[in-house]
Amino acid sequence: MATATVNEAKNLFSEIPMRTWRWLGVNELPMPEQVTGELQQTALQVAAGKEDEVVYVNRAGGAQNLTIDIAAGAKLHLVNVQLAPTDAAYTSRIHVHVAADATFSYTVVEAGARHTASELTVELAGDASRADVWGLYFGDGQQKIDLNYIIRQQGRHTDANMQVRGALRGQSEKTFRGTLDFLEGTKGSVGRENEEVTLLSDGVRNRSVPIMLSHEDDVDGHHAVSIGKMDEAKLFYLMSRGLDLAEAQRLVVEASFNPVLDRIADTELRAEIDAYLQGRLGK
Amino acid sequence: MAEKQKTYVADIERTLYDIRNEDHSVYKSESGLTEDIIRDISARKHDPKWMLDFRLKSLEIYNSLALPTWGPDLSELNMNDIVTYVQPDAKMTGNWAEVPTDIKDTFDRLGIPDAEQKSLAGVGAQYDSEVVYHSLQQNMADQGVIYTDMETAIREHEDIVKEYFMTLVPPKDHKFAALHGAVWSGGSFVYVPAGVHVDIPLQSYFRLNAAGAGQFEHTLIIVEPGASLHFIEGCSAPKYNVTNLHAGCVELFVKEGARLRYSTIENWSRNMMNLNTKRALVAKDGIMEWVSGSFGSHVSCLYPCTVLHGENARCEFTGVTFAAKGQDLDTGASVIHAAPHTSANINTRTISKDGGKATYRSAVKVTKNAPFAKCSVNCESLMLDNKSRSDTLPTMDVEGDEADIGHEAKIGRISDEAIFYLTSRGIEEKEARAMIVRGFVEPIAKELPLEYAVEMNNLVNIELEGTMG
Repeated sequence: MATATVNEAKNLFSEIPMRTWRWLGVNELPMPEQVTGELQQTALQVAAGKEDEVVYVNRAGGAQNLTIDIAAGAKLHLVNVQLAPTDAAYTSRIHVHVAADATFSYTVVEAGARHTASELTVELAGDASRADVWGLYFGDGQQKIDLNYIIRQQGRHTDANMQVRGALRGQSEKTFRGTLDFLEGTKGSVGRENEEVTLLSDGVRNRSVPIMLSHEDDVDGHHAVSIGKMDEAKLFYLMSRGLDLAEAQRLVVEASFNPVLDRIADTELRAEIDAYLQGRLGK
Repeated sequence: MAEKQKTYVADIERTLYDIRNEDHSVYKSESGLTEDIIRDISARKHDPKWMLDFRLKSLEIYNSLALPTWGPDLSELNMNDIVTYVQPDAKMTGNWAEVPTDIKDTFDRLGIPDAEQKSLAGVGAQYDSEVVYHSLQQNMADQGVIYTDMETAIREHEDIVKEYFMTLVPPKDHKFAALHGAVWSGGSFVYVPAGVHVDIPLQSYFRLNAAGAGQFEHTLIIVEPGASLHFIEGCSAPKYNVTNLHAGCVELFVKEGARLRYSTIENWSRNMMNLNTKRALVAKDGIMEWVSGSFGSHVSCLYPCTVLHGENARCEFTGVTFAAKGQDLDTGASVIHAAPHTSANINTRTISKDGGKATYRSAVKVTKNAPFAKCSVNCESLMLDNKSRSDTLPTMDVEGDEADIGHEAKIGRISDEAIFYLTSRGIEEKEARAMIVRGFVEPIAKELPLEYAVEMNNLVNIELEGTMG
């Protein structure tokens, strides 16, 4: 592994596919601070008809740069967990090409690092190709999380699913940009995108940009975002069963994360993430 | 397998709007934008000194600002070709009979005087750069309601105009706001005193007849505490082969406990660049309601903005956009929650067909000062063929944790299941498709006054046929 000493792009890490008002500050995904640490540069190929699972865990910060090629009929489940110390910076850039009848399944946890910049681009190039993206983020203290996920649907009858759950606490800031891009000719394709954010402190700032671009009429696209406080009825119920407020909050946040975490088969890793999040949430 | 059937929606019927009159203007400014032109317009309009200074300052800002880096392509617009001021051969009058025949015929065809008699409390009609007709029912005037053209307002109510004019949309807001500040002409001024309810609507109709010209009308509405008003704005122009520009500005002040509904049916011709700025400032317990139909123009950038400035202020935005061949309609809304317990509801429908491009763009901003803000956004897009484009680009920015924000968007075509269901109930397929498209825009149509809902149905003159796609 090489060492990342300088950012690949010092200020501009990534951009959204279609720009909007500049005052909103969401067009560009910046990484103004220097990223130091390991540079993980990997090209993954999954041969036709094969199935594979790859797990990356980052506990130190640094940079990740992955290119992934999933051949016809193949399946890949990529688990990407980032639990870097909160004084580190971290960037991740992943580009995935998915051929006909192939599936890219992605489970990502963005919980550590002082500043995270993450770009995911999935090309559903082949007919009946699929992307199933499940993400989780947690921000606390002064953490900054900047995410830009894009799924481009080009083949016929492709299926894209982007599900993101997050919670923000302290003075943390997060921007999630999620794009479903239906290109011309992607007939019979479906795309769903959903982000649910739980706001836990009054010092947080949440920006959500769910983008849907379409150049094809024979598609079914749907996106939804919900941003809000924890459901008080749920908290009340748990507290009436003897939990204190902090415990009840933790339980509710953990429950919202479970659909993402349940996709991680490695029990040791799952336990490590649970302990990491519990430690942070319990603070 | 049989190919899926396509719905064919005919182009918007424009015959009525495309009748052009011969250009009888008494004066036209030179095309382009220079200090001399601005001074000339200002002198002809007998501006007070502060307004001339304001125009010159705006010109300076215009020259210093770049074109936006997002949104539709504006490269076709060449300001050096645009005539910014066209004075029609008519004096402002309160008597319909005195309006020159060709101008009168135009508004007659558009049904303006007819609507005035039937269902309006007041009417204003602007032809090119000047308002040619204005009237207000006597009982409204008796209650202190002021409804007049902006030029008269500057003469007769200078203090009020000076206090509010371009404070909500300052010239430095963007390049076309600066342009507006420099060359604005015409438009409406409405003042509703505290506690007065204007229970039948006021209407202004803007018609741009001259080729290669710009229309820059300014609308300023102040609804004092506890008062209410429904204002309707209509716009159209005949088609020319040169680019026309509309860069109007609408500033709405909704005071404590007041209510304002602002309805627009925009049907500019397909050579129009419609770069309009609309903004409302809503005080405590105030209610702002927008109803916005965008059908015409070649390029539109229109995003009415509501600033919820007082506690419990509310906003409802209802919009429909129909982009056909050669149109790039970039529309949406923005809401800024700047006080506690404010709420907003945005509901839009877009249809794109025959190579048209429809973009829904929005911003919801919840500031730190706005705990317990609530906002719900729903936008649905219907594409009628794969030559067209439909894009959705909303942004939500929430500071603090006491907010409840929801957003939902859908893009798609008419579902085969829905057609199947309706045909299985004995409805002909053609009618079933028509029902679905009408149902799609129905939430918007029902918010319009009756005669406008009829106009919208005429505009969306839907000719539905199941053709082999």
